[in-house]
Amino acid sequence: MNERWNKLNTGLLADRKITQLLAITIGTLLVFSILSPNIFFSPNNFKSMSYQVPEIAILSIAVMLSMLTGGIDLSIVSISNAAALVAAWVMTSKSDTTGTESLMWILIACALGIIVGLIAGGINSILIAKLDVTPILATLATMTLFNGIAIGMTDGVSVSGLPQEFMRVGNGTFFGIPTPFVLMIIIAGAVGIWINRTTLGLKVFLVGTNRKAAQYSVMGDRKVIAWVYLASGFLSALAGLIIASRTSAASPDFGSSYILLAIVIVVLGGVNPMGGFGTVTGVILATVVLQMVSSGFNALRFSQFFYLAAQGGVLIFVMILNVVLENRRVNKSIAKSLRS
Amino acid sequence: MNWKKLLLRNETALIIAIILLSITIGVKSPEFFTLSTLFDIFRSSFVQLLFALGVLVVIISGGIDVSFPIVGIFAGYTAVVIMQKFDLNQNSLMIPIVLAIVIGIVLGGLNSIAIASFGIPTLIATLGTAGIFRGIMLTFIGSSFISDIPVGLDNFATADLLQIQPENGTLARLHVLIIPIAIITILVSLLLSRTMFGRSVYALGGGVEATRRLGISVKRTQAKIYMLVGALSGLAGILYVSLQRKANPYDLAGSELDIIAAVVLGGASIMGGYGTVFGTVLGVILISLIKNNLILLGVSGSWQRAAVGALLLIGITVQAISETRKAKNRRVSTNDEAA
Repeated sequence: MNERWNKLNTGLLADRKITQLLAITIGTLLVFSILSPNIFFSPNNFKSMSYQVPEIAILSIAVMLSMLTGGIDLSIVSISNAAALVAAWVMTSKSDTTGTESLMWILIACALGIIVGLIAGGINSILIAKLDVTPILATLATMTLFNGIAIGMTDGVSVSGLPQEFMRVGNGTFFGIPTPFVLMIIIAGAVGIWINRTTLGLKVFLVGTNRKAAQYSVMGDRKVIAWVYLASGFLSALAGLIIASRTSAASPDFGSSYILLAIVIVVLGGVNPMGGFGTVTGVILATVVLQMVSSGFNALRFSQFFYLAAQGGVLIFVMILNVVLENRRVNKSIAKSLRS
Repeated sequence: MNWKKLLLRNETALIIAIILLSITIGVKSPEFFTLSTLFDIFRSSFVQLLFALGVLVVIISGGIDVSFPIVGIFAGYTAVVIMQKFDLNQNSLMIPIVLAIVIGIVLGGLNSIAIASFGIPTLIATLGTAGIFRGIMLTFIGSSFISDIPVGLDNFATADLLQIQPENGTLARLHVLIIPIAIITILVSLLLSRTMFGRSVYALGGGVEATRRLGISVKRTQAKIYMLVGALSGLAGILYVSLQRKANPYDLAGSELDIIAAVVLGGASIMGGYGTVFGTVLGVILISLIKNNLILLGVSGSWQRAAVGALLLIGITVQAISETRKAKNRRVSTNDEAA
C-alpha cells in the first residue's frame, strides 16, 4: 500500500513539475508577445528560434545525463567544438571533390567528429568512473585540455566555408519543420527511452539517488557512470556538428557562455543537481523558455549581458525555490508523522 | 625526519618540476637565467597568488568557486568608476584599494547567502552569481575600457622596491608589492593553521556532518570563507587594474581555470580537508613559469591553454590514484585487525 502510494506521489510530483514548466513557458510567451508584438510575435522570430533551440537542447540533455548520476559535465562545449573542428577540417580539405565522392567525405567527416566526441567522453569516463576523480574537477581539466588542443591546432582561427550539402542539414527543412528541430526530437526521444525504459537507464537514476546503495546492490555503478559520460560526449559531438552545419563554421571558442546556459536550463527543467531526478521533457521545455527570454530581450533591445545576468538570476532563484519548497515538504512530513 | 616521506610530498615534487623546467628553458635560451626574468615571474604571479589563496581556502573547505575572477574585475573596475564619478582624491592609493576590498566583501557576502543560507551546491551557486555579477557590471556599471585610471593607481604600477642594472641586458625591477603579498601569504597561512576559523575550514572539508557534531557552525564558517575570498579577490582585482594601468571590464573572465589548476597542483585535496599555502605558492609559480615561457621553449603561445589543461589533468589523476591506494591500504589494515 505504502509503496504504491509513494509511486503515485512521485508520479504526480513529476507531472506537477512539467505542468509548472508549461505554465512558465506560456507565461513567458505571453509577456514577450505583449511587450513586443511586432518583433517577438512574428513568424520569422519563431522560425529563427526553432533553429537555435536544438543545439542548446542537445547540450543540455548531455548535462542532464551527468547530473542524474549526481555529477556534472563541464566539458560539453569543448567537446562539441573539437568535434566540429575535426569534421570541418576534413570537409574543407576535401572541398575539391564533387558528387557522391564529396557526399561520402561529408559522412566520413561527421563520423570522425562523432568519434572525437566518443574519445573525449571516454577520457571523462576513465577519469571519473575508473580513477574516482570528482566529476567537477575531471571535466574542468578535460574542458581546458580539449579547448587548449583545439586552440593550439587552429591557432585560435575558425574554420569556415563548409560544403553546401552539409549546410543543408542545419538550415533546411524536413516536411516543413526545420531539420535541426527534427533531429532534436529524435535525439530527445531516444534519450528518453534510454533512461526510462532500459535497465541501464534505470540504473542511472538509482546511482544518482544513492551511490552507496547502488554499490551494495552490485549493479556495476562504475559502468553506469562510464556510460553516462560516454553518452554525454556523443551528444556533445552531435550538437557540435549541428552548430557547424547551421553556422557553416567551426571555432575553438564558440559558445563559451553555453555551459552556464545549459546548467540553467537543466536546473530550471527540474533536474536535481544532486542526482536521481529529471526528465527530458522538462529540459526541452526549459530550453524553449530560455530561448524565448533570449529572443525577447533581443527584440526589446536589452544588452546580451543583461541576458547573462538574467540567466544567473534564474539559476539562483530556481535553486533557492527548490531548497525552500524541499524544506517545507520535509517539515510537513515531520509534522504529519509527529501527529499520527 | 622521514626522508622518504619528505620526497613523496607534493611540495617536493613541485620544486623538482620547477627546477627541471627552469633548466630546460635555460638550456634552450640562456637569456632566461637573468634577474629580470625572475622578477617578471614574481610580478606576473602577484595577482594570481592573491586569487589562489582565496581559492585554496574554498577548496580546503570542500567547495569550489568559479566567480572569483569576476568578483575581482567587478571590484577593480567599479572602484575606478567610483573614483572618477565622485572625483575622489586621484593621488590616493588607499581609497581605491579599500573600495575594491569592500566591494569584494559585499559580492562575497552574496555568495555566502546563496551557499551558506540556502545550501546551494557551491559550483552552481558561484556559476550563477558569476553570471549575475558580470551581467550587472557590463550593463549597469560600464562596458568601456578605461585607460586613464587614477594617478595613484597608475604610478603604483611602476613603484619598484629595487632596480638592478646588470652590465649587459635589461633593467631588472622588483615591484614593491612583493612585501605586502608576502605578508598576506603568511597571514593566510597563519589563519589556516593557527586560528579556530582556519581549523574549522579544514574540518569542514573533512566532513560536514562531523564538523557540525563538533559544535562548529557550518553556515557561519562557510559565510566567512566566501567573504574572505571576496575580499582577497577584490584586492587582487584592483591590483590587476593598477599593474595593467587600465581598467578593462572584459578582462580576467575565464582565468579561473589557471588559478584552480595552480591550487590543485599545489596539492590541495580536491575532496577538501587538505592543502597548504606553500604548495599553492609553488603551484602558482609553476603555472606562471609555463604560461610565460612556453615561447622560449619553442612552443607556440597558442598551446598555453592545452599545457595548463594537461598539467591539471596530471595533477588530479595522480592525486586520485594515491587517494585510492590510501583507501585500499586502510581497508587492508582494518581487515587485519578483524582477523
